[in-house]
Amino acid sequence: MSDKSLWDSCLRFFEDSLPPQQFNSWIKPLAFEIKGNQITLTAPNSFTLKLVQERFLPEISKRAESFLSGSPHFELRIGKKSSAQPAPKPYIAEADTSQPTQPVPKTQKSQNKLNPLLTFENFVTGKANQLAHAAAIQVAESPGITYNPLFIYGGVGLGKTHLIQSIGNHIKRENPHAKICYVHATNYISDVVRAFQTKKFDEFKQFYNSLDLLLIDDIQFIADKPGTQQEFFYTLNSLIDGHKQVVITCDTFPKEISGMTPRLTSRFSWGLTVAIEPPGLEMRVAILLQKAALSNNPISEDVAFFIAKHVRSNIRELEGALKRIDAYSRFHKRAISIELAKEALKDLLASQNKQVSIENIQKTVADFYRIKVADLLSKKRTRIIARPRQIAMCLARELTQLSLPEIGAAFGGRDHTTVMYACKTIESLRNLESSLNADFNLLNQTLRN
Amino acid sequence: MTQLLLDIAPEWVPTLDNFVAGRNIELLSALRHALAETASERCFYLWGETGCGKSHLLQAAVGQGHILEQSATYARGAVPEPAQVVAVDDVETLDDAAQVALFTLYNRVRESGGMLLVSGAAAPSHLSLRDDLRTRLGWGMVYQVHALSDTEKAQALEQHAQARGFMLPNEVTQYLLRHGRRDLPALLALLDALDAHSLRLQRLPSVPLLKEVMYAGKLTPE
Repeated sequence: MSDKSLWDSCLRFFEDSLPPQQFNSWIKPLAFEIKGNQITLTAPNSFTLKLVQERFLPEISKRAESFLSGSPHFELRIGKKSSAQPAPKPYIAEADTSQPTQPVPKTQKSQNKLNPLLTFENFVTGKANQLAHAAAIQVAESPGITYNPLFIYGGVGLGKTHLIQSIGNHIKRENPHAKICYVHATNYISDVVRAFQTKKFDEFKQFYNSLDLLLIDDIQFIADKPGTQQEFFYTLNSLIDGHKQVVITCDTFPKEISGMTPRLTSRFSWGLTVAIEPPGLEMRVAILLQKAALSNNPISEDVAFFIAKHVRSNIRELEGALKRIDAYSRFHKRAISIELAKEALKDLLASQNKQVSIENIQKTVADFYRIKVADLLSKKRTRIIARPRQIAMCLARELTQLSLPEIGAAFGGRDHTTVMYACKTIESLRNLESSLNADFNLLNQTLRN
Repeated sequence: MTQLLLDIAPEWVPTLDNFVAGRNIELLSALRHALAETASERCFYLWGETGCGKSHLLQAAVGQGHILEQSATYARGAVPEPAQVVAVDDVETLDDAAQVALFTLYNRVRESGGMLLVSGAAAPSHLSLRDDLRTRLGWGMVYQVHALSDTEKAQALEQHAQARGFMLPNEVTQYLLRHGRRDLPALLALLDALDAHSLRLQRLPSVPLLKEVMYAGKLTPE
């Protein structure tokens, strides 16, 4: 077989198995060359090179073995792809901090309108939101049929609103006459209150019951509001019975919402409940690259990697950091580089450098599971103690720079192999138990913030 | 006999022009662009230590909004009514209900346009606020307001004295900086007291006069 067909087969495989942003960011820029059994992969920068080596090389090697007569030898290096498009011109700043990006309309005089900029096309997918994204697409393509209601939950600033607005925009494009309402739960509460005050309850009910698609954001806000919950219960029943789609977002999964009537939480679980998790490093890089490209001020992968490495908590702050760098570059009339990014984010990074300590992790985990820190450090091996201990060890590996023996020592003088076992156990349990996964993400985000 | 003073001192209002920018020159420029609607991002979060000039900038932005014939409101530790330019000072002092109100206001501003300025003592990720509000504050333009250096403080004091109609001798400025508190609002208050005292005694501002004001009991040096 030809050299080209080997690389084509790899490209096809990665295109199918990876989210498009990751494929475009990591695989597409690679240059492939083969001489006998010697395969050379050229990556545009050290970050991509490292990532390819760690994540994709085993698969490429496997495929090469089936194509070649002997075992392949790989050489990975940094350089330019010979047939690649010309490198993007460095951005030269304009004279001011104004941002002549694509015009952001002064949208939505009415609270029930969709934001046309939030679409599936510019929603970056990755491991953290793959399932939610797939479910949202399915709902958008066959509303009211597949998953009703679709309940999306996850921490703050992870893209829930973007996803449900994308559903709305997709349905609107397919069926311009569809009656769609996007409403934040706080505005829904105001609507209920206003309907009570002005005695226009029939109008209120008529409006909500006549919708083809109801997108309601941050449903946790109606907790402890029995009147609003009752109204929402009727609205939900009426829409679902009429095969009209309802999409709900929340900061936690249905059964965990406190102050919510059980009949409502059980209805939330009727359709499909999916989680959005905090994005990993690669996904954060992909998000930054896309946001920067959309703002007409593209950044290099090195800069994206620098930002993603330092701003880890949520997508909003990631976007805030990017805006700050953009403004700094325009004001100082300098092209965006790592040096400039460091200068622009100096204040922010200095404030974030409060390193997470192992004591802090132990205390936070112990408080969360209502056990004592002393128990975490003790010899006890009952599950009620051992599981939080394993979670704390796993968090310590992720959030501190300590070595595995140091982590083991900080947990009552344990061996580094115990830490390794703990991390492995928690990683596999996170895939099996959604509640443990949610706890882990919550603790992780709390500690990072 | 003590000279009685008529309360006719020229009113000093914080503006973007009388803010001594120091290291905050980029922030000042960003605010001007946002007020003139030549920037697409119009949600600002300003943070920094007490006395670094956050309130000055928020009030100045609201004042500038009025000059541009926009509806503009300012509130400290509370959330004012929606307007085209809204400033909320000291966000960390907001209670639960006010935090929800600011959250709603923030969403409204992002959806319907307008300008929102919020100030606080720490960077967004270090604020003890609701998560959904805290992350939103970090979404827009986040700037640390840097306190002025001594030279810049001297410049600010001289500007303030000029605005009140008197010349500040250099040795008085130096004494103020060496013996007064470090934050600018306290220094400006001392300067106002010196002005009043000098008018009352009909003597030019000087170091002995300043000492009298500082050691009078009300405004003591550190």
